Amino acid sequence: MATAATMVSSAGGLLAMLNESHPALKLHALSNLNTFVPYFWPEISTSVPTIEKLYEDEEYGQRQLAALLVSKVFYYLGELNDSLSYALGAGPLFDVSEDSDYINTLLAKALDEYASLKTKAAEMNESAVVDPRLEAIVERMLDKCIADGKHQQAIGMAIECRRLDKLEEAVAKSDNIHATINYCIDVCHSFVNRREYRREVLHLLVKIYQQLPSPDYLSISQRLMFLDEPEGVAIILEKLLRSENVDDALLAFQIAFDLLENEHQAFLLKVRGLLTPSAQPSEPVPSGSTQPDSAQGGDAVTSEDVQMADGTQAGNIATSPDPSEATYAEKLTKIKGILSGETSIKLTLQFLYSHNKSDLLILKTIKQSVEMRNSVCHSATIYSNAIMHAGTTVDTFLRENLDWLSRATNWAKFSATAGLGVIHRGHLQQGRSLMAPYLPQGGAGGGGSPYSEGGALYALGLIHANHGEGIKQFLRESLRNTNVEVIQHGACLGLGLAALGTADDEIFDEIKSVVYTDSAVAGEAAGISMGLLMVGTASEKAAEMLAYAHDTQHEKIIRGLALGIALTVYGREEEADTLIEQMTQDQDPILRYGGMYALALAYSGTANNKAIRQLLHFAVSDVSDDVRRTAVLALGFVLYSDPEQTPRIVSLLSESYNPHVRYGAAMAVGISCAGTGLSEAISLLEPLTSDVVDFVRQGALIAMAMVMIQTSEASDSRVGAFRKQLEKIILDKHEDTMSKMGAILASGILDAGGRNVTIKLLSKTKHDKMTAVVGLAVFSQFWYWYPLIYFISLAFSPTALIGLNYDLKVPKFEFLSNAKPSLFEYPKPTTVPTTASAVKLPTAVLSTSVRAKARASKKEAEKAAEQSSAPKGKAIDKDGDSMQVDSTAEKKVEAEPSFEILTNPARVVPDQAKFIKFLEESRYVPVKSAPSGFVLLKDLRPNEPQELSLIDSPSSNAAGSGSVTGQQGSSALAMAVDEEPAPPQPFEYTP
Amino acid sequence: MDPKSTELTQVFERFKAAFVRKDFDTCTKLLSQLKVLLTGFRSLPPLFEQTPNAIHELTLARDIYEHAVVLSVKIEDQEAFERDFFQLKPYYTDARGRLPPSSQEHPILGLNLLRLLVQNRIAEFHTELELLPPSALENPCIKHAVELEQSFMEGAYNRVLSARQTVPHDTYVYFMDLLAKTVRDEIAGCSEKAYDSLSLNDARQMLLYSSDQEVLDYINEEHPEWEIKNGFVFFQRAKDSTPCKEIPSLQLINQTLSYARELERIV
Repeated sequence: MATAATMVSSAGGLLAMLNESHPALKLHALSNLNTFVPYFWPEISTSVPTIEKLYEDEEYGQRQLAALLVSKVFYYLGELNDSLSYALGAGPLFDVSEDSDYINTLLAKALDEYASLKTKAAEMNESAVVDPRLEAIVERMLDKCIADGKHQQAIGMAIECRRLDKLEEAVAKSDNIHATINYCIDVCHSFVNRREYRREVLHLLVKIYQQLPSPDYLSISQRLMFLDEPEGVAIILEKLLRSENVDDALLAFQIAFDLLENEHQAFLLKVRGLLTPSAQPSEPVPSGSTQPDSAQGGDAVTSEDVQMADGTQAGNIATSPDPSEATYAEKLTKIKGILSGETSIKLTLQFLYSHNKSDLLILKTIKQSVEMRNSVCHSATIYSNAIMHAGTTVDTFLRENLDWLSRATNWAKFSATAGLGVIHRGHLQQGRSLMAPYLPQGGAGGGGSPYSEGGALYALGLIHANHGEGIKQFLRESLRNTNVEVIQHGACLGLGLAALGTADDEIFDEIKSVVYTDSAVAGEAAGISMGLLMVGTASEKAAEMLAYAHDTQHEKIIRGLALGIALTVYGREEEADTLIEQMTQDQDPILRYGGMYALALAYSGTANNKAIRQLLHFAVSDVSDDVRRTAVLALGFVLYSDPEQTPRIVSLLSESYNPHVRYGAAMAVGISCAGTGLSEAISLLEPLTSDVVDFVRQGALIAMAMVMIQTSEASDSRVGAFRKQLEKIILDKHEDTMSKMGAILASGILDAGGRNVTIKLLSKTKHDKMTAVVGLAVFSQFWYWYPLIYFISLAFSPTALIGLNYDLKVPKFEFLSNAKPSLFEYPKPTTVPTTASAVKLPTAVLSTSVRAKARASKKEAEKAAEQSSAPKGKAIDKDGDSMQVDSTAEKKVEAEPSFEILTNPARVVPDQAKFIKFLEESRYVPVKSAPSGFVLLKDLRPNEPQELSLIDSPSSNAAGSGSVTGQQGSSALAMAVDEEPAPPQPFEYTP
Repeated sequence: MDPKSTELTQVFERFKAAFVRKDFDTCTKLLSQLKVLLTGFRSLPPLFEQTPNAIHELTLARDIYEHAVVLSVKIEDQEAFERDFFQLKPYYTDARGRLPPSSQEHPILGLNLLRLLVQNRIAEFHTELELLPPSALENPCIKHAVELEQSFMEGAYNRVLSARQTVPHDTYVYFMDLLAKTVRDEIAGCSEKAYDSLSLNDARQMLLYSSDQEVLDYINEEHPEWEIKNGFVFFQRAKDSTPCKEIPSLQLINQTLSYARELERIV
C-alpha cells in the first residue's frame, strides 16, 4: 500500500502540465519529471520535443532544467551524443561531483569527446574548435582530480585530452614526483599512439625533470634519447663527469650503460662526438675504433689500464697540471669506451665465455643422427652450433669435427664460415685476425673459395654488428675489390650489419652500385644492406629503392629491396603511412610482402590498433600466401610490447586451413613472446609443433624455442617435454627434412649463447631495442635464405647482472636471489646412458650456483688472496675443495633453500629479476637498483683492496699468459665436475 | 486547516460560482490560479506524501480537475481538455484505493474516449479502454462511446450521426458535433480513393448532408483541391500518382556479393 501510495503509474499528468501556460506549472512539471526520469523515461521520451522547445525558448527562465531533463532522457535512450550536448546546455545544473550512473557515463563521454576533438584537431594541424562548455567540464574534472590527489587519473586524462598544461600541473602537485613521472612515461609509451604527440609529452617531462631540485638524470637521459637530443645527454654527462664527487661519475657511467642498452648506434655516436673535452683540442685516445687493432690481442684488462694511463698522461701534457682536468679526461675516456659499446661488449663476452654452459652432447647427438647426405640438416646443425655458442667464442665443436665440417660446400660453406662470426660475436679486438684465414686476400684472385670469403665478410659484420666503426673501412674495400657475387653478398650483409643505422651516404652509394649490377645474389643482400644502413631514417632513398624494385626482373632483388625499404621506416609510425600504402597496394606480391614488414617495423612494439587491423585484413584477404604469412608474422612485431595479447589475437589464425597463416601465427607468437616463457603462448604453439604440414612444424618448433629460451624446467614443466620432443624429431629417421631442420635450429635457440642469453626486444626502460628488432625481422627471412638465420644473434642479450666499480672492473660482490635455486638454474646436461652414468651422478644434484661458487672459490684459493674483505655471506666458500661442494649439494637434496647467494657477475634470467635483492651489509652499493644488466657499484670502503672477478678474458691466437692460467684453473675444475667445454685453442679449419 | 488549504477552497468556491454563472473567462483565470496553488501540496501526485489532510486535499484536487475538464469542454478547447484530463487521471488510477469514487469519473472517462474517437486516435482509444475495469464498461457513458466506436469501425456512419440524439450527458454534445465532422472526413477520404468523380447529388448522400449548399461549403472548406464541374465532383486532381517504390537492386547485389566475399575469406 505504501509503495502504491507513493508511486504514480504514469508521467502523463506531469507531461500534460508542461503544456500549461503558467510558468510555475511548467517549473513544477519539469522539476518533478527530473526526479522521476529514471522511472518514466520511456513516457517522457515521446514528449522530448516539447521539452526541447522549452530549452530553445530563450525567454524561458528554466531552460537549463529542461536541458538537464532532455539530457537524462537521451542518456536512458542510449543517445549519448545528444545527451552530452544537452548536458552541456544544462550548465551548472549538470553536477560533476554527483555520483550517479548518469553523471559518470556522461563525464566519460565528455572526456572521450573532448579527447577525440583535440586529437582530430592535432592530426589536422589546426586549432581545435571545442565547445567552451565542454572544455569547462573537462577542466572542472581535471581540477577536481588534482585537488583530490588522484594524480594518476588526472595524468591519464590530461594526456589523452592533450592538455599538457594540466599534465604539468598534475605532475608538479603530486607528492611523489618521481613515481608520478615514471607512471606518466609508462602511460605515454603504452597509450599514446601518435609519435609526434608522444615527443611533446616527453619534452614536457624532461622540462619538469630539469626543474626538480634533485633531477633523476637516468630517466632524463632516457627521455632525451627517445627524443633524439644528443646535446642534452652530452650536457648532463659532462656535468656529472666534471663533478668532484665520485658518485656522480658512477652515475654518468650508469647512464651511458643504460643508453647503450637501447642500441641506438647513431645516437650514441653523436653523444660521443659531442663529448670532447673543452681543454683538449684533440682527443688522445680515439673513440675505440682503432683501439682493437692496437691492442694486438693482449690481455684486455691490461690494455684497458694502459689506455687509461694514456688518457691521464695526455691530459696532463695537454693542459696545465690541473688534477681535476686530468681526472675529467680520464673519466671521459671511460665513458667514451662505454658509449662506443666496447666496455659492455667486452664484459659481456667475458661473461658469456666464463659462464658458458652449452651442452656439446646435444650437438653430438644431432650430428650423429643427421644423415650425411642431407645438406639441409647438415647446415642446420652448423647454424645450431653457431647459435648455441653465440658470443661465447667457444668453437670446440667445429674444431673437433673438421672432417664432418668439410662436407659443407658452396653456400653451406658460406654459412659455416659466417657461423664463426656469430660464435665470436662482439670479439671486436680479434675479430679480424680470427677471420683472417678466410678473408679475401688482396684482390679477386685469392686462393680461397669465394664462398668462405663471402662468409667471412658476413662473419665480420656479425662480430661488429652495430659497432662497426673499426671494420667498416675494411668491408668497403672488400666490396669494392670484388666482382664475385658471392663475396659481394657477404660484404653487403657485413657492411649493413657493421654500419647499422648510421645512414652513411657514401656506403649507401657503394651498396647501391651493387644493386644496379642487377645480379640476383648480390642484389638481394645489397637490398637488405641498404635497409640496415638506413634503419629508421625514413629517408627518401626508400623511393629510389622502390623504383628499382619495380625495374628489376629478379625476384631476389625485389625481395631484398622490399625488406630494405621496410627497414628504413623502422619505428616511424604514422610517418611511414604513405610508403606503406604504396607498397601494400602494389601489384607485385613481393612488394606487398615488403609492405607487411614495413607495417611491422614502423609500428613495432606500439600495439597500434590501426596497424593490427590492417595486418589482420591482409592476413585473411591477400591472394598471395607469402603476403598472408608475413602479415600474420608481422603481428608479432607490432605486439611485442604487450606479449600477453598476441596469443589471443592470433589464436584463431593458428587454426586456419591455410598452412602459411598457421606458420605466420606460430612465428608471430615466437617473436612477440620471445624469452617470456608465457604459458598461453606455449599452449598455442604446442598443437602446432605436431601440425600435418612440415613447414608449420618447423615454424612452431623455432617459435617455441624462442618463447622458452631461458625458461627452466622447474618453472614450466613443458620445457622438458619440448626438449624431449626435439630429440625425438631429430632422431626420427622418417621425419621430414623441414621439421627436422626446425628441431635442430630450435635446439640451438633454446640453448643459445651458452644458455646465458635471451631474446629481448625491449630494454629495461621499455624502449625498443632497435638492433634486436631488426635482427629478428631479417631472421624471419630465413624462409627464403638460410644464411639470414644468423641475424637472430642480434636479438640475443645476455641475462646477466654485472656489477662494475669505478674503474669499470668487476669486483667481487654478492647479492641475494630470493627464490629457490632450482627455479632458475641451467638445464641439466644431457647424459649419455651407456658411458657416463657413474661419473655423472654427482652433477645431477649439483646446483649451478654451487658450481659457480666452487669455481670462484677455487680461484680464490689459487690466488691466495686475503679474506679480509669477505662479508658474512661468504662463509660457505671459505674453503675451496670439492668435498665441501659435495656436502652442500647433499644438504640441498634434503631441503632446498628458499634463496641463493649469487656472485658478481651472475646469470639472472628475466623472471628471476624480481627476486634479486642487494645485501645491506655489502661493501658495494648499486647506483641504481636494477636487477639485471650493467650496474655501477659504489664502493663504501674504497681504501680496502678490491678483489676482482671475471678477469679471464677469452683469448685466442696470442693469448696473454696471465689469463690463460686462470682459465685453465677453472676449466680443469669444470672438467672434473662436468664436461664443460675446454677453452678455445688456436685452430684453423680448411673446408 | 492550514491557510494554503483555506485559500484553495476559497478560490475554488469563486471558481464554482463563476462556473455556474457561465463566466468562463473568469473561470479560466481562476483555474490557472488553482493549479498553481495545487503544486504547493505535497500530498498530490506525483509525490503522494502521506499528510494528515491528504484525503481531503486529494478529493479537492480531483474536484478541481474534474471541473477543469468540464470547463475545457464548455470552452471547446480540446488541448486544454487533454491536459486537464491527464492531470486528473492519476486521481482515478493511482489514488483509487484511497479516495471514494467520484460521481464524475465515468462521464469524464467517457468524454475522453469520445475525444480520442473524434481525433481519430483509435489506438489510444483502445488502450484507454483496456485500462478500464470490466464493470465500468456497463456504465452508459462508457458504453455510448464504445458503441460509437463500433459503428464507426463498421462504417455505419449514419448510426454515428444519429447517436447525437442519445447522448448520456449534455457535455457530450460538443464532441458529437466534432465526431460528425470526423465521420465526414473519413467518408471524403474514402470517396477520394474510390471514385474518380461523383455527382453532387451522390456526394451529398454520401456525406450525409441534407442540402447541396452544405456539401459545397464543406468542399470549399476542407478539400479545396476537389474540382466541381457540371454538377460533378472530380477527385482526379487530388490523386497524385504515387510512384511505386523502386527495388534497391544494385544495393542488394552489392550486399550479397560482399557477403559472398566475406564467406570466401573464412580464416
